[in-house]
Parts: sequence; structure tokens; C-alpha cells
Amino acid sequence: MISRTSPYRTHTGRYSAVTYCRLLVFTALTAYVFFLYENRGVADTSEPPFFETTIQPIFSKHCTDCHGPEVQEGGLDLSSAKGLLQGSESGPTFRAGNAEQSTLFGLIQRGDMPPAEEEQLSEAEIEAIRIWIESGAPFQDAKLGDSGPTQHDVIPILLLRCVVCHGGRSQEAGLDLRTRESLLRGGKSGPAVVSGDPQKSLLIQRIHKQEMPPRRALVRVSVKPMEATELTVLEQWIAQGLPKSDLQPDIANQVADPLVSNEDRRFWSFQSPVAAPLPEVPLETISTSIDSFILRSLRNVQLHFSPPATRSVLVRRLSFNLTGLPPTPSEVEQFLADPTPDAYEKLVDRLLASPRHGERWATHWLDVAGYADSEGSQNEDRVRPHMWRYRDYVIRALNQDKPYDRFLHEQLAGDELTEYENVETIDDAIYDNLVATGFLRTAPDRTFAAITAFVPDRLEVIADEMQIFGSAILGLTIHCARCHTHKFDPIPQRDYYRLTAIFKDGFDEHDWLKSQGPRTLNFVTTSERTAWQANKEQVEQEAAVVQEKITAEENEEKKKQLETELQAINQRHQPEPRIRALWSRGVPSPTYVLLRGDYKNAGRLVGPGVPSVLTDGKTPFIFAPPWQGAQKTGRRLALAKWLTEPSNPLTARVMANRIWKHHFGRGLVTSLDNFGTTGASPSHPELIDWLAVEFVRRQWSMKSLHRMLVTSTTYRQSSTITEELAATDLEGTLLSRMPLRRMEGEVLRDALLQISNRLQHIPYGPADSITEMEGGLITTEPRQGGWRRSVFALHRRTKMPTILENFDYPQMGPNCLDRRASVVAPQALHLLNNALVSEWADSFAMRVASEVGENPAKQIRRAYQIALGRLPREEEQQIGLSLYDDCKKQWLESGVTDAPQRAFKNVCHALMNSAAFLYID
Amino acid sequence: MSHYPFNRRQLFQTVGAGLYSAALTDLFTRDVYATNTKPSPPLTREFDLQPRTPQRRPQAEAVIHLFMNGGPSQMDLFDPKVELDRNHGKEHFENIAGEVEFPEQAGAIMRSPFKFKQHGQSGMWVSDIMPHLSEQVDKISLIRSMYTSNLTHEPAIYKIQSGSEFIGRPTLGAWVTYGLGTENQNLPAYVVLDDPLGLPVNGVDNWQSGFLPPLYQGTRFRATGSPVLNLKPQFEEPTRVTDLERDLISRLDRIHRRERQFRPELDAKIASYELAARMQVAATDALDLSQETAATHKLYGIDQETTSSYGRRCLIARRLIERGVRFVQLYINSQIWDNHSNIGESLKNACERTDKPVAGLLFDLKQRGLLDNTLVAWGGEIGRLPIAQLPADKDPAKAGRDHNKNAIVAWMAGGGVKGGYVHGATDDFGFAAVEDKVYVADWHATLLHLLGLHHEELFYERNGLKERLTGVEPARVVREILA
Repeated sequence: MISRTSPYRTHTGRYSAVTYCRLLVFTALTAYVFFLYENRGVADTSEPPFFETTIQPIFSKHCTDCHGPEVQEGGLDLSSAKGLLQGSESGPTFRAGNAEQSTLFGLIQRGDMPPAEEEQLSEAEIEAIRIWIESGAPFQDAKLGDSGPTQHDVIPILLLRCVVCHGGRSQEAGLDLRTRESLLRGGKSGPAVVSGDPQKSLLIQRIHKQEMPPRRALVRVSVKPMEATELTVLEQWIAQGLPKSDLQPDIANQVADPLVSNEDRRFWSFQSPVAAPLPEVPLETISTSIDSFILRSLRNVQLHFSPPATRSVLVRRLSFNLTGLPPTPSEVEQFLADPTPDAYEKLVDRLLASPRHGERWATHWLDVAGYADSEGSQNEDRVRPHMWRYRDYVIRALNQDKPYDRFLHEQLAGDELTEYENVETIDDAIYDNLVATGFLRTAPDRTFAAITAFVPDRLEVIADEMQIFGSAILGLTIHCARCHTHKFDPIPQRDYYRLTAIFKDGFDEHDWLKSQGPRTLNFVTTSERTAWQANKEQVEQEAAVVQEKITAEENEEKKKQLETELQAINQRHQPEPRIRALWSRGVPSPTYVLLRGDYKNAGRLVGPGVPSVLTDGKTPFIFAPPWQGAQKTGRRLALAKWLTEPSNPLTARVMANRIWKHHFGRGLVTSLDNFGTTGASPSHPELIDWLAVEFVRRQWSMKSLHRMLVTSTTYRQSSTITEELAATDLEGTLLSRMPLRRMEGEVLRDALLQISNRLQHIPYGPADSITEMEGGLITTEPRQGGWRRSVFALHRRTKMPTILENFDYPQMGPNCLDRRASVVAPQALHLLNNALVSEWADSFAMRVASEVGENPAKQIRRAYQIALGRLPREEEQQIGLSLYDDCKKQWLESGVTDAPQRAFKNVCHALMNSAAFLYID
Repeated sequence: MSHYPFNRRQLFQTVGAGLYSAALTDLFTRDVYATNTKPSPPLTREFDLQPRTPQRRPQAEAVIHLFMNGGPSQMDLFDPKVELDRNHGKEHFENIAGEVEFPEQAGAIMRSPFKFKQHGQSGMWVSDIMPHLSEQVDKISLIRSMYTSNLTHEPAIYKIQSGSEFIGRPTLGAWVTYGLGTENQNLPAYVVLDDPLGLPVNGVDNWQSGFLPPLYQGTRFRATGSPVLNLKPQFEEPTRVTDLERDLISRLDRIHRRERQFRPELDAKIASYELAARMQVAATDALDLSQETAATHKLYGIDQETTSSYGRRCLIARRLIERGVRFVQLYINSQIWDNHSNIGESLKNACERTDKPVAGLLFDLKQRGLLDNTLVAWGGEIGRLPIAQLPADKDPAKAGRDHNKNAIVAWMAGGGVKGGYVHGATDDFGFAAVEDKVYVADWHATLLHLLGLHHEELFYERNGLKERLTGVEPARVVREILA
């Protein structure tokens, strides 16, 4: 356990190599303790070197600057025997009697520690350490060797193997094995343990006889048998008289944090954003404050803004950007014809007020939330039938311009915002609170079946949710600290587990709600529930009447008719409306750091807390049940409130940056998910901070932020790259022009549908199911002769509509922070050859004909207006017409009767395949 | 033009394979192969499928992965156990309780219903349900000591395909094409030949590119009809009309590009449409088995109903490898190796469908000189238990075997691998690998090694991590099987 090749050893990060954690009594250590006992006699007679006299001076000379009481890199304190024995983040540091298998010795011997730039240990010093370990690692203070297991070594084992049946939810035989006290109290057969006598302890007897955990029930409750080493620890603890440790959970307190220093906190993104004064630039050249930051950077390299884009380019850009749809010809006309100076601002307001806005921007948020309508993981990829409510919640919230702070409160702690169990009416607000917590239920999850719901399976789900939380909201790669302290950011492993402790009342690997049914609540709005209930009663009533008739009817034929009737009535039954949610279950298990992320290797006990580097390290994390009598901890609510304090270093920066990215094609920080030390440096450091402060000042209004960004001069620039710009700003880092962007899959599909008049705006509700055609092509089911927007398609992980897959719909593993745009042949093949795209081209052609008649020149002009928001240039018009003529001739030769229509469809189809359509200037 | 990211000729070479997120050139090889240093800040990078020279001289240049999902039974195929014969009918459940998925169906120790014999110069033991492979054993390295981390199909399949038990990570073929690109830009780099009868467990996840760009995911070729989705128009139209329309698209795109300098993505768009046309021809040709002789059809068992389907896929695999495709993966529908019941019949059937085609493939590759630089890998995701799994009526005649993560049997043949060699051993009952154990990550490392790649140096930066196929745990190349 100690000598396994360390995954850390080759890295040069500042938190490398040795790590922290309290002494743990498992395999090797158990052996070590026994070894100590055996060797004490030897130590007395042969006078071996004692730690205090021989080794401590070496450590004090070389190690304690980084591994001392104030700074404990890797959680290791080598300034005292106690600190050494407490071990590091990776567990015990040495194994008495065996230098080769001692982590600490290995690191020193290989020259990995002290770090290369520090003074190295002499050969004599290394040899002294080796001799000390080989001779049994004796201490002058012999008591130190005695530290046997305490209840904190035993509880993790019982949690793992026993509490599912003998714990908080179920106390079979009246037995609760969660605490030392409850063990002594025992169950129906008496106390579980007899202090000092393992063999007389019922607990040990039953385990020895392999009666417990019961072999045939193991899979049903997702538990594995107790391992021999674990049993040894249990026996030892009982034999030694159930030693009790008064160790308290490790939480932030008034003492300065030895694991994270103020130096660490100095990194730009770990400090609260402060708005710098606006740069001074000629006011006539800018429209909004952000322009002054951009312009200053441009002027630094003798550039200026690009000329403004034309109005027709602007309206198309803005429409796709804010609603994900092309502008309609009348929208374009209205804008082009509006002579007022604020025509553009009015257009912005119209688009922001459109219900289509929330549908488009929901996709961005659903990506970071890792939204899917199915479990993933298992072959059947079981559908999550209630997940769509969360999708609808996001769309509604964005359309209502719900402030981002409130948006986060609801998604992280909606169940702790208001009472919902004991209220007369569930209104929209209460409903939204609960649905919002679906954010915490998106990760791929195989724990709906017992065989794939063991503790490690559950920990994977929790890890995915932590990754989503960290990357989406904090912009930190916090999941890297699951198995060891973060290699590059000042995030100790302790902080990862403190964070999981915050979520423990919802994500408790020892008190787990299997995915699907158990994860749902029935607190839909009272009106929805009443309607469902009424329908149910109505159907039952009608069914009963017909059933009676069937019983009475003797004529077989009439009976059959009635049975068909009954069937039809029963089909009107609707599934019970339920919400997939996360809610506080009130009594979370204790949280132990898992050494190297190994679930069988519990280390230090920690309490809830937020990453130390984002605080002063001394402020306790305060939480309380949210209302009187609430069976909830209030931990997540406290987290949500901490996140949305204006001084929080990351929340506003990360979201403002994301919104920026979707408007300007690249983030001010390009690593949207990583604001840590390995993330990208901001291209405009003062701007990102100014923006974050401004976002909060505008009461976290996302629409207000959109408005500011899209009305800027920066946004209104042309996208043309001149020779000069290519020489100075080829990448576009300086925003010297707008980017050229390919439509995302959803946008492309929606745009194709809209121009063909086949888009049905039926918002909200259960997802549109999908059809799998021969050969594996997947499409969504049509509704009322058309199709709904892509956001409403069933997002089944293994069966996404092919057009979305081909155009880079990302796999949610577990979420997606930044989509890529590939350019590959299957995309061309899809748009060229796919039957549905061809059908839409037919509809497009028919629509044009119905609007302007059969004149091909007029038709081409109209098709351009619809698809591209502009008229064709002379050259385009000419080659379009000539293709039309050539195709018509071919079609006529092939003997069809509708050659003109078919030829024009070819023009429309070509337009749908053109770069002019697929790319947005 | 000095700031233009590439010259035009380079651009079109790149674009031929599909250009990815064009924005800024980067020293791609450096990024893929750099040693373990602090990650560089993320840049917008481009990815392509141009052939790349690996760090070390490769033994194999292409891979045919014969994925036998379901869990082929080691003690009934390649790993005879006298202790099973001796202890047949004895209770054994309590010893392995934590490792049994269906405890209520657990029966006693069960001997193999099949007879074993030694074959070839090497004298390798193979049971009598693989008569054809028995004649090819001197070409293969058999690993009897593989093991994995989960006994359930789905996580175990994710594990063997992608190194992790969970959805969302790149699969082996994706890593290989990411590292090596491909030789033929008119065909996909990574081709999947799935069974027309249905998808394997985990469906299309088996060939996902995970967090790698979608460029590297497997492309399904159907063995009959149009091999690629949307390869040919799904509507009636005179060819001349189709050509005219494509010409219009091309002319419109050139006008569009003319007005937009320094936009390689627009060149890429045009090139992707040209590639689409070429692929239509190349893919159709690769799948045209009528170009093969009757003797070849016979060799692969295409002339017989039982073996026809898998035989066709094996032959297509050879034709794709010949044309420079880097990674070909073959699947069988559902779980023919998942012999929970009636193993005497069901396992035999699985062999009947695949034995002749697989042996034919090895023979054919060898006779054409292709086996020297093609690696053929055969195996599933789990193994099976030494005890019987009983049906509801407890009839031992209908017994099968339940899942087992502790022992898996697999083999490799061809480029860089010893022939007629047996590696590792299981315990007396065939329950668990005990000698020279090979973890899934070791198997991955070995495969990469044969291709000239090092498992610790082939990585992709994401979320501040250098992601690798073998993850953070140490992995070992199984040097013993290297030729």
C-alpha cells in the first residue's frame, strides 16, 4: 500500500510527492504497529537511534520549511514525531522495519525530495534515516508507537459494509452500526461489541462465520464482503477496548491554513475582481464601456476597430446570436427600413424579448450542466423520463431574465430555499426551485441497478457532479484534487472532500438514492397535479362504466367493440408528473478524505467547506437549517450564497466570460473551464474584471449583459480580415474584427427547418422521441407536419439525431464547456445526400414559389432573402439561373412533369449547402 | 501572405482529411508526444488525420481488433483445467461469493463440456470448438492471465475500449488515429464493421472519440448496401443533375471565399465537399467483394450461411488494411459470448460463426505478407466463472457460466508479436489470473507499444490534465509476447 509507484513522483508541481493524512490503520500499517510491539524489546537492549535525537534534526534542517507547522505541503508536518506519525495526504510515511517500502525514504533516496533546487541530504543523513526505519523506527517517547485504531478507523469500514441494513434508513434487528455508542447499545440480540474481547463480540462472530454481510444478499444491497484486513482493524479496536478519539472534523477555523498560503491567494483569479477606471479613449469612437478596453489594446499595436458591418450582416449575426435562428425577411426589412438612430437597439430588444432567446441560450447552459435525457453508462441507456422539466426551467429562467445569483441558488439549493412538503399549494416558484436542482442530477449514472450501484460506482457519479460544479460555476479543475492535492492549483485534496461534504446530504455514497424513481419528487404545481388527478379520475370513471357494460354484454361482437373502447379510454391515462431532483436528506454520513481516491482507504475526517484559496482560510463555513423544523442541513444553500457574494473571486468572472465567448467567439479567458494557474491568461485582464463587477452591479442580469455586449462597437465590427489585421492580429485575440462562425448543429437544423417553413414553435414539455432508420440514421419525430426546435429533441446519449452528431454535438462526459467545430466529409455527405434535408429543400422551394410565383429570377432573389437575409449579387444570380436552366433541361429529359419545380429545388438545396448559409459573418 | 497559417498545397493536404477548428497552427507532434511537463495554456489547435511517424519504430502499422464482446469462456476455449474435471459438482460458491453477479443462480463447480487438444508446433491447447484457429496457433500469442476491474458488461466494455469504466473517454481506435493519423485520406482512419444483426452492448459508444475531436471517432461501414450513412443520395435524381448542383455549390463557395481572405475554414469547407465525393468512390470500391476470387470467399467462409456474415467483415477488414486504413474493428451483434446458459451449445454456436473467418483472416494476411505489419487482436471484456450458473429449474444440463472479472483470455497475432506463445496462467480452477498478470491497461500499453507509441507519452490536454488511454495508474508493456 505504501510502496506502490507513486503517480506524483514524476511531477514537478509544487504540491508534489508527499501528502497529508492522519495515521491510518490498514494492511501495511497494521503490520507496522505489530512490528513496533515486537521490536520494543529489541530497542531497549541494543540502543538504536531514536527519532528525536537522530532523525528530527535532519528533518528540521532540510524539510520543515515546506513541511512544518505553518506550511504543510501535502499535509505533511515533519517538525515533530506526532506530525510524522500523522502521515501525509498519501497516508503513512514510513513502514517500520522496511525502508524500501517507506514512501518517505523512497522519495529521499531517489532524490525527489528535497526538490532539486534545495540543498540535498548527505549520504550519511540518508543512511541514518534508513537505519532508523530498518531498526523498527523507535521513538524515545514510546507511547507514540501505541496509537492504535480509533472509532474513525472503524466507522468507514462499517459504513462500507454494514450500514445499508444497520444504519439511518434501515435498522435490521434493531441494530445501528454508525457510531461507537450505537455499537455498544447493540440491537435485539444485545450489544454488537464486547469491549476488550473481539471473540465474544457478536459483530465479529457473525462476520467470521460469513453470515454478515449475508452472502446471498450482497448484490441486492450493493455491498461487498468485508476484507480480512478490515476485520483485523475491527478486532484490534475491540481488543484494545474501543479507543475513542475526540478528533473533530477538519474545517476552516481561526488558525491560518497551513495548506494554502496567502501567496497562493495572490493569483489574479483568486482575488476579488475590482473594476479599474475606464481607459481613456476618444469617446466618439466607442458605444459602450467595454469598447474603451478593447480600443486601448488595439491602439497599443496601432490598430483601430474594423469598419462596422453592413446592416444586413448585423441583423443576421444578431439574430443567430440571440435566438439561434435566421432573421425572417420581414425582420430584415423592418430593420433596414428603420431610419431612427436607435434602430439597432430596438432590434436587440425585440430579439431579447423573443421566446426564442431562452431556447437558444438554454443550449449553452445545458452544455455546461451536462444535460441528457438518459442515464448513459449502461447498454439500454435508460431514458430519464422527467429530466425535460429541468430543460424547461432553464429556458424559462433565461427568458424571464432570472438574475444569475438566483439562478444558481435554485440550481444548487432549490430544496432549501422554501418549504415544499408542508404547504397547501405548490406554486410556480416552489416548483421551479425543485426542478432547478435537476442541475445536480445530470451526470451519467449507472446506479439504477444494484449490480452497478456499489460505493465506487456512486463515487464516480459524485465525482462527475463535482466536475460539473467546478468547471461550470467555479471555472476550476477541482476534480483534479479527488485523488491527491491539485498538481498546479493551490487546492489541497482536503478541499475537494470538504466540498463533497457540503453536498453530502444529497450525495451520500453510504445512503444512496438509486437513479430513476427514487430520485423523483411529486411536488409539481398544484394546478398540474390537480389536472392530472382529474384526468385520472375521469378515465377511471369512464373505464368503470364501460367495464360494467362489458361484463353485462353477451354478444361477442359487441363485447369486442366495447373492449376496444375501453382500451382507447385507458390510453388517456397520463404518467404521474414527477420531478427529477436533488434534496437534502437531513442526516449526512461523516466525510473522510479518501487516500488516493480509493474508497477503501479512508483518511482524515473533514467537515463542509469551500476551497480555502478562495477565502482568507480562516473564516468558518457557516450553515444552518434553512427554516425552523427543516430536516435539512442548509449546507448547499450556504454554498450558493457564498458563491454569489459580490466578493467571490470566480462566479461572476466565469459567467461573464462565458457570455462574452458566445458573443465574440472566444473568451477573454479562452479556457472557459479553467481559471486556475494552468488556464489561459486573460487577453484583457482589466476588462474581465470590469465586466465581472459590472455584471454584479447590474443585479446579475444576463439580458442586461447581452445588451451591453451586442450594442458595443466591438460587436458591430465587420468580420473581414485585411492584410494589416492578418499581420497583427491573425488569431483575433485583440478583437480587431468579429469572427466567422459555422452554425452549431442545433442552429443548423433549426435554421434549415425555419427557412423551409417546417419549424413548429411548440415550446416546452416532454422531449420529442427519436426514430432510428435502417442503417442507424437517427431523426426526431415530426410534430404537426413539422419539427420542433432541436433543444426539444430527446437528448438520449447514445441516440442523438445524426445531424447534430455530425455537426459536433458533444458527448456529455460529464459536461461540455466549449464546443468544437469540425469540418469533415460526413457533414457534406449529410447535407448533400440526406433524405430529410432533401425534403426540406423541397419545402423551401415550395415556400418560395408560394410567395413569389414561378419566375425563376424572382424565386432566386427570394430564396436568398430567406436563407441569407440579403439579395443575391449579380454573379450569384447569374450562376443560379444558369444552374436552374441546366437542371431543368436534364429533368425534362428524364421525363418528369414538374421539371421547373425540381430544378428550383436544386437551387434551394445548393443554397442550404453553401458556405454563405453555413457560416455567419 | 507570410502570416497565412499554411500554404495552399499544405492546406489541401490537411483538409483532405478534414480540418479541425482552424485558427492557428501549432506543433502538433510536440503537443501529442511531449513528456510530462506542466500543461501549456490551451490554444485553439487544429487536428487532422495526416499520417504521423510515431516516437519509436513501429512493429505494426495497422490494427484489426476482433472484439468478442460478452466474455469468451477461458476454461472452455484456451485454458484447460483438470481441477474442474476432478471437482466437478462440488460446492464452491462461498469461496467466491463477492464475485458472483447472480448468487441465487450459483451452482457447483462445472467441468468444460469440450475436449482439449494440443496443436501446432507450439503444442498450444485449444478446445475442439475452434478447429480452424487450431491450425493457426503458431501465429498467435495467447494471454491467459488478463483481468479487469468490473464484472458487468457495460463498465467492463468501456474499460477495455477506453481505459475507464465510464462513458465519455476516447476509445482505443480514437487514440491510435489521434496518435498516428492514417495512410489513406479518402477512407476513414478508423473503420467499424458492426454486425447487420444489431449493435453490441454500449452501442455506438464503443467507437466514440470521447473528449478527443470527433475526427477520431470510428466510422461505421455497413457490410451491405451503402457503407456509410448518407454516402449516396437518398432520393431519386439524374446523376447529371447531382453533378450540376455540386458544381453550383462549389462556385458559390469560391465566390464567398474570394471575399474572405485568411479564412482557412472556408477552404476546409470546400475541401470537405470534394473529399465527400472521393470517399463515395473509395468506400464503394473497398467494399466490393466481387473483386475477390471464389477461393478467397471460401477461405473466409463467405460461401456458408453460418460464417458468411462474419467472413465478409473479416475480408473487408483485410481490404481496408490493404488500402491504408489504420484501425479496423469488428463486432458481433449483442452478446454471443455471454454464455449464461446452455454453454455446451451456445459457446459452440459462437465459435461456429467466427472460427473459420478468423482463421481465414490470419491465413490470408500471412500469405499476402500483410501479417508482418498488421496487428490482429482477439478478445472480450471479461471472462467466466468456474462454477455453473443454473437456470430456474436447476437443470445442470442447461447450465452456463456467470461473469468473471478476474480472468480473461485474449490473443494477439502479427506485427511484432511472437507466434505459438502462451503468456501467464490462472489458478487451478481458472477463476483468477495468478501468474504474469496482465491488467487491461497493460494490454493497452502493449498494443500502443507495437504501434510505436508510448502509453505515457500519448496524451491529450483537457481540464488541466494530460489525459491518457492508460490513465494515471502505472501500466506495463507485456514484453514477453514481443517477437
